[in-house]
Amino acid sequence: MSTTPAPDAASAPAPSPRPADREDRTLVAARAHRARENALRTRDLVLSIAAPVVLVLLWEVCARALIIDPRFFPAPTTILAALGEMLRSGELWTHTAPTLARLLIGGGLGALCGIAVGLLMGSSRALNAALGPLFSALYPLPKIAIFPILLMIFGPTELPKIIAVFITTFFVMQISTVSGVWAIDRKLLEAGSAYGATGFDRFRFVVLPGAMPFVFSGLRTATGTAVVVVTAVEFTGASTTGLGYLIWNSWQLFIPEKLYVGLLVIGIIGAVLTTLLSRSEKLLLPWRR
Amino acid sequence: MNPGPTPPSEGGQASVRAQDVSKVFFSGTEPVWALEDFSLDLEPGSFTCIVGPSGCGKSTFLRILGGLEERTVGEVALTGAEHAVPAAFVFQEHGVFPWMTVLDNVAFGLRMAGTGRREREDIARQWLDRVRLGDFAASYPHQLSGGMRQRVAIARAFATGSPLLLMDEPLGALDAQTRMLMQEELVALWEQERKTVLMVTHDIDEAIILSDRIIVMSGRPGTLREDITVPFARPRTVDIERTGEFGELRARIWNLLREDVRAAEETA
Repeated sequence: MSTTPAPDAASAPAPSPRPADREDRTLVAARAHRARENALRTRDLVLSIAAPVVLVLLWEVCARALIIDPRFFPAPTTILAALGEMLRSGELWTHTAPTLARLLIGGGLGALCGIAVGLLMGSSRALNAALGPLFSALYPLPKIAIFPILLMIFGPTELPKIIAVFITTFFVMQISTVSGVWAIDRKLLEAGSAYGATGFDRFRFVVLPGAMPFVFSGLRTATGTAVVVVTAVEFTGASTTGLGYLIWNSWQLFIPEKLYVGLLVIGIIGAVLTTLLSRSEKLLLPWRR
Repeated sequence: MNPGPTPPSEGGQASVRAQDVSKVFFSGTEPVWALEDFSLDLEPGSFTCIVGPSGCGKSTFLRILGGLEERTVGEVALTGAEHAVPAAFVFQEHGVFPWMTVLDNVAFGLRMAGTGRREREDIARQWLDRVRLGDFAASYPHQLSGGMRQRVAIARAFATGSPLLLMDEPLGALDAQTRMLMQEELVALWEQERKTVLMVTHDIDEAIILSDRIIVMSGRPGTLREDITVPFARPRTVDIERTGEFGELRARIWNLLREDVRAAEETA
């Protein structure tokens, strides 16, 4: 702290109206207060990192000491060893690539279509009247239940899996986007009209940016749901690739380490996608608080 | 949306001519008269305030002029109808786009009117300087205080170059002290520009400080109760508040409004 005032007020460059000793005492108290607050913050940070580390260590110790059954809960180091082995042999990638492709193609297209339809429905009263009730009725239907129908139509190919992810994402995005358009402050829509924004200008400058916060929160929800659906679809006999298949197959063959590897990688994919989304939201919507 | 204001056919003197404008909407099966046979001419370059109890249709009238609402019957003519922005609106709050920078907000009307980027940004910068927000061109509205945001809204309206400004309680959401400051700034700005301004306000003092003419409206259905000319010379400062004349005028307007305000309070 270079700003510590001189103990003698007379030697201070700018004469303070406060008596020097009182100022000193007050500043010392204020610094002590700030130091306590900083110490607490450091403690919180340490706790938030230490707690998971301790749990994993505990898991490791318990598995090695056979306190928990390592057949069901293999030690973290065993899982990591399996991960390394699967990386080397290429087995991991043969399962990760198809899952990623299904997620990105199905989810990407589903999100684009969902946002587009949502924007159209939000802007057109007639379209919303025609499609709104229909989509609302379909929304609570568990999309995974449609999968057998898709299999029946398209056979056990990639297409039904991608479509299952597509449908899931589409519905979440369509509903979020419509809500986003409706949530735009009326005043802002009026300001747009008052300054002559009509047609495409109104869409580009008012409706689209106004709906973006809801679009992004929809994308976060959709990512979570899409990861669930892709895993579930890969659990079914219709798939012989994918992380879902890896997990399911490892259960059937009773190779618990690989099961946990599949779980870990799926978790990482979900976390990475969610992080990318919030990063791009910060980048694309700098006007959000 | 706008049923099409046309340039005034006769005389051509007034900047705004509204004749026998009525607005009726339905609440259930009951017709509600928001505005009944309301007529108003505004001289070019005049500052007019409308005061009246809540629900008297003063905002409705303003919105009809601005093309934000349709009139049920009546005639509206604006001299600036051929201007790219016939009437520039200032809203009470939340009227500036949170997703645009301050500069883009101020340039928005010009952009919609098809003004080129260089020109509209030059004009917007000049206006930002005039409302003392020159350093905030690249900021977003949420980074500004309420008073600063309203200065953005006012700059946006002036920057369009529109001959008519419609203000719907532009200072209504500000705290009392910021509000007094903004009144002074608005007076100064307007005295340099002399646009035709029609402003709706709840605040009688504000109406006297700012305007040449005060239209006092009756409660619902809104009709014209009294048309008052404000006697204070320009340029004006808020110091006129200390004169006896100011107090008398305020008392007179309040006496006109008191009963209707009470009635509006009790039916609300």
